[in-house]
Amino acid sequence: MKTLELRNLKKTYFDPYAGSHVTAVHDVSLEVQQGDFVSVVGPSGCGKTTILNMVAGFIPHSGGEILLNGKAINGPGPERGVVFQSFALFPWKTVLDNVGFGPKMRGVPKAERDRIAHEYLALAGLSHAASRYPNELSGGMQQRVGVVRALANHPEVLLMDEPFASVDAQTRMTLQEELTRIWQERRPTVIFITHDVAEAVFLANRVVVLSKGRVLDQIEVALPRPRVWDDLIEDETFKRLSAQVLHMVRSA
Amino acid sequence: MNILLRSWSAYTRATARWPGLAALVPFIPVIALWVAVTESGMFPRAFLPGPVEVVKAFFSLTYRGILPDYLQDSLVRLFTGAALGMAIGIPLGILIGTSKWAHRVSWPILLFFQAIGDIAWLPILLIWFGFGLTTMTFVIVYTVLFPVVLNTVLGVESVPRDLARAARSLGASPARVLWEVTLPGALPNIITGLRNGLGYGWRALIAVEMIVGTSGIGFMMFDARRSGSVVEILLGMIILGLLWYIVDAWILAPIERATGQRWGLVTS
Ligand SMILES: Nc1ncnc2c1ncn2[C@@H]1O[C@H](COP(=O)(O)OP(=O)(O)OP(=O)(O)O)[C@@H](O)[C@H]1O
Ligand SMILES: [Mg+2]
Repeated sequence: MKTLELRNLKKTYFDPYAGSHVTAVHDVSLEVQQGDFVSVVGPSGCGKTTILNMVAGFIPHSGGEILLNGKAINGPGPERGVVFQSFALFPWKTVLDNVGFGPKMRGVPKAERDRIAHEYLALAGLSHAASRYPNELSGGMQQRVGVVRALANHPEVLLMDEPFASVDAQTRMTLQEELTRIWQERRPTVIFITHDVAEAVFLANRVVVLSKGRVLDQIEVALPRPRVWDDLIEDETFKRLSAQVLHMVRSA
Repeated sequence: MNILLRSWSAYTRATARWPGLAALVPFIPVIALWVAVTESGMFPRAFLPGPVEVVKAFFSLTYRGILPDYLQDSLVRLFTGAALGMAIGIPLGILIGTSKWAHRVSWPILLFFQAIGDIAWLPILLIWFGFGLTTMTFVIVYTVLFPVVLNTVLGVESVPRDLARAARSLGASPARVLWEVTLPGALPNIITGLRNGLGYGWRALIAVEMIVGTSGIGFMMFDARRSGSVVEILLGMIILGLLWYIVDAWILAPIERATGQRWGLVTS
């Protein structure tokens, strides 16, 4: 069953200084099945963030359609959760209240949303940090909160834009492994944007390669799960797929 | 050298224990100088009284109930004006900060009126409202308003765009984004604006009381000039400084720190 569908999506920005239009996304069509995990890679400036922002409803699209369960999207909404590269945690709320924010907006009573938040914090190994403020956490912990905050709201689609780009390499690997584990447990539909080819292949069932605002190719990743770096780093299939995607991105 | 070093370390330890001490000790040389000048006989006593006379005046005026009454009048005026200024300034600042349109329309007007300044309004206010509470309140509201509005706008605009987007994707309506994200995000700036506004307002109030007042600290000082009582003038000046120190250092600054620093919005 397909959840999300992009049809001939197009985005043109107006540059007020140059007084001209820039087309960031020319013509992108994409289907994502329910419970699927899709990575989107491409060179810098190819329109990845623009696509994600349109799907999230943060910016309007200039042409084509974005359908969620067959219905056109209209602005941001809780059925499309977002994980930001900047984490975007509310600095004045504790970790617990950050995670409970989505349920709070749905009108879930305090005791129940605290229970939900505790459950999801446990999922990310963050139970001990519940009463702390975001600025008291490391970058890796902050982004765990970011992921769990989006998940606790039960979105139909989880949109992630380079969420692990600003944490160190070791932590990033841990976060990637945790994300695959959580995804297997909860099976949300995920669109994961990155320019890190190995990350794209490691996480996804399918890697979409973008180039200059168009889909260049899509590659199925039939690696077994659970995926852990210690195994995959030596794995022939993983190496072959990563090399294949890398060549595509570099020639894009 | 050794003694200096040791007494300095004793001083830092003492002030760490009693923070109030750190605020008082710097005044010791100032008071000593004051005493030295008055005791030297350079000036007649009526021209420059010493600290002892001022303290005596403080007790006598307090005992007669004049000082408490005037102090209360001044403070009530300041806080009424500040409350009104906030009630107008914060919503206005949020409107200007969130709406490009409101920003474009109101910004030139704001800067224009900010330049006119509080006291510059007095001549026309005296004609319109006469010598009284309305005129005083207008001036204080006016002084408090600009720092509150400008800092609120600054605060609203400094809230990262991703925070509002995150809230929207978690199901918040635009109105709830305002309440849950924009307001708390702008709060440290709003408090800074209030702190500045109260400081300006306090000074404006004293000036206005001198001109239109029939009570208040400013009136007391100006009235003392008429009777040639330098003691009361000095007392008024000292009260102005002390009171502001208490309000700012013990109330406003801690609130500002508590919001900004705890959230990591202000790196301290
Ligand atoms: N607000 C904007 N106004 C004008 N042009 C924009 C705007 N945002 C993005 N662009 C342009 O659109 C193109 C695509 O940008 P986008 O941010 O989507 O790229 P990206 O693939 O996410 O790149 P990166 O990997 O560097 O994050 C770029 O050429 C960029 O300059
Ligand atoms: Mg990007």
